[in-house]
Amino acid sequence: MGIDFIDVAQAIIDGLLFGSTYALIGLGFTLIFGAMHKLNMAYAASAIAGAYVGLAAIALSGLPPVLAFFLGPVASGVIGLAVYITCFRYMPASNMLAPLMASIGALFFIDEIIIHATAGSPLAFPAVMDDVYFELGEYGFRGDLIFVLVTSLVAMLVLLYVLFGTRLGLATRAVSQQVVAAELCGIASHRTNATTFVLTGVLGGLAGCMAAAAVGVISPLLTVPITVKGLIVTVIGGLGSIPGAIIAGFAVGGFENLFLLVFGVNQRDIYVFLLLFVFLVFRPNGLLGKAIKRD
Amino acid sequence: MASRMAGDAMLELSELSKHFDGIRAVDGLSLEVERGEVFGLIGPNGSGKSTTVNLVCGVFPATSGRVLLEGKDLGGLPPHRRLNAGISRTFQNIRLFGELTVWQNLWIARRDAPGEEAGFMRNWFGSSARIREAIEETLVFAGLAGRANDLARNLAFGEQRRLELARAVSARPQLILLDEPAAGMNREEVEDLKQRILALKGSGITVLLVEHVMELVMGVTDRVAVLNFGKLIALGAPGEIQGNMAVREAYLGSPDAEAA
Repeated sequence: MGIDFIDVAQAIIDGLLFGSTYALIGLGFTLIFGAMHKLNMAYAASAIAGAYVGLAAIALSGLPPVLAFFLGPVASGVIGLAVYITCFRYMPASNMLAPLMASIGALFFIDEIIIHATAGSPLAFPAVMDDVYFELGEYGFRGDLIFVLVTSLVAMLVLLYVLFGTRLGLATRAVSQQVVAAELCGIASHRTNATTFVLTGVLGGLAGCMAAAAVGVISPLLTVPITVKGLIVTVIGGLGSIPGAIIAGFAVGGFENLFLLVFGVNQRDIYVFLLLFVFLVFRPNGLLGKAIKRD
Repeated sequence: MASRMAGDAMLELSELSKHFDGIRAVDGLSLEVERGEVFGLIGPNGSGKSTTVNLVCGVFPATSGRVLLEGKDLGGLPPHRRLNAGISRTFQNIRLFGELTVWQNLWIARRDAPGEEAGFMRNWFGSSARIREAIEETLVFAGLAGRANDLARNLAFGEQRRLELARAVSARPQLILLDEPAAGMNREEVEDLKQRILALKGSGITVLLVEHVMELVMGVTDRVAVLNFGKLIALGAPGEIQGNMAVREAYLGSPDAEAA
């Protein structure tokens, strides 16, 4: 079988571009973990659900399709808040299992709602800039994937600014570092946690819309694979590490597409899991994760 | 020492109790801290000093009894509201936001004076020149002016202690609770701390000082209360307390005092 260098490079380029959506999903998992030391398993499901709401909104109102990329994230932010209130807010802080199981429940609950609402069949999702194609020497760049990349990068920059440059972001980080001291500095930790869920929800909604746009269809079958990919990205990047999630998102995207080229679609995910396994054995704290500690 | 006037208490504890699994950490404690004084709270390890501080700032609820700030019952007020009510504190085991800079640690705790509150957007997304100026002042007060942009976790131990104090001051409290601020300090640092506490008093802040370092307690307080087994056993001017027999017994004659 002849796979030459150009094919490999092209697959990696496409994968890296698509990987920016994985980076956004990974960021969502890692930020919530950073804030509460808990995993929100319903995160990717709320991202996909938001994309559906965006799609439904433009279909019902006749608004321009590009608005789905605005309405979807807003809906995901609202769903994120609902997940926080139902699965995290009132659970005892010391109970790690209850919110985990509750959010797994929310994952399948959201999934079921989507399946019932759409009779289980995939829907076409509007693509943006899919008629654009750049060529740079021998390499091609798909316009829709460039759109995905640019939108993701802008979203990440806004997120980093909020987290590191504003008092709101500092407050959420203060809560994750020293919850008692933060409370006594006048920060309501429940509110900063809710803010984290809304912010990450918006990020996830954006990722969900872009993943659907890049594939061209949206389907409830996307929720579990994206959840799993998001968790893989989070673990490889290092739980709680923001730069780790970004790097790992791109890396998983690139490797995934490379595996697709070399081993075909049926075996692709086996090798992605193998990658995860290698990390769990040789670098369990991920690329940039610190050993988990809490006082 | 300020003359006593009815209703002039900054902080009033009334029959305050806290039981942990049958251990009476604080047991029917009643005392008043007057406005503008430096009030010392001493006692052997496990006598209930830190528990009292935690009850005042709402880390956990009292089993019974009341905490009143300027006559208002703080009742079930959650910790984050107590800062707005006018209470801030330092921690015995340093609890800074290690991944934030010195400046950001102060910014987080910063509260606007009543009537000067910034709106939601300004409060969470901006910072006014006035706030920056106030933070600079607090940095100078704590001797941290040159370290504003360093991460808190990279500070030396003494500097971290000073940042703890600065962060509590940054909240513009009426009442500041200092939980063993001199722990681990050398003589010179204790002297610096003494000057800073007196400066706080000079600016009208009421101070509740929990401390083991007697040199500091005797040097800055107006009145001292002594706790043992969660109960008040002595209260008076620092000079009186030093010669009090009950206090000596509490420190020397209670080998089986519960651990802190």
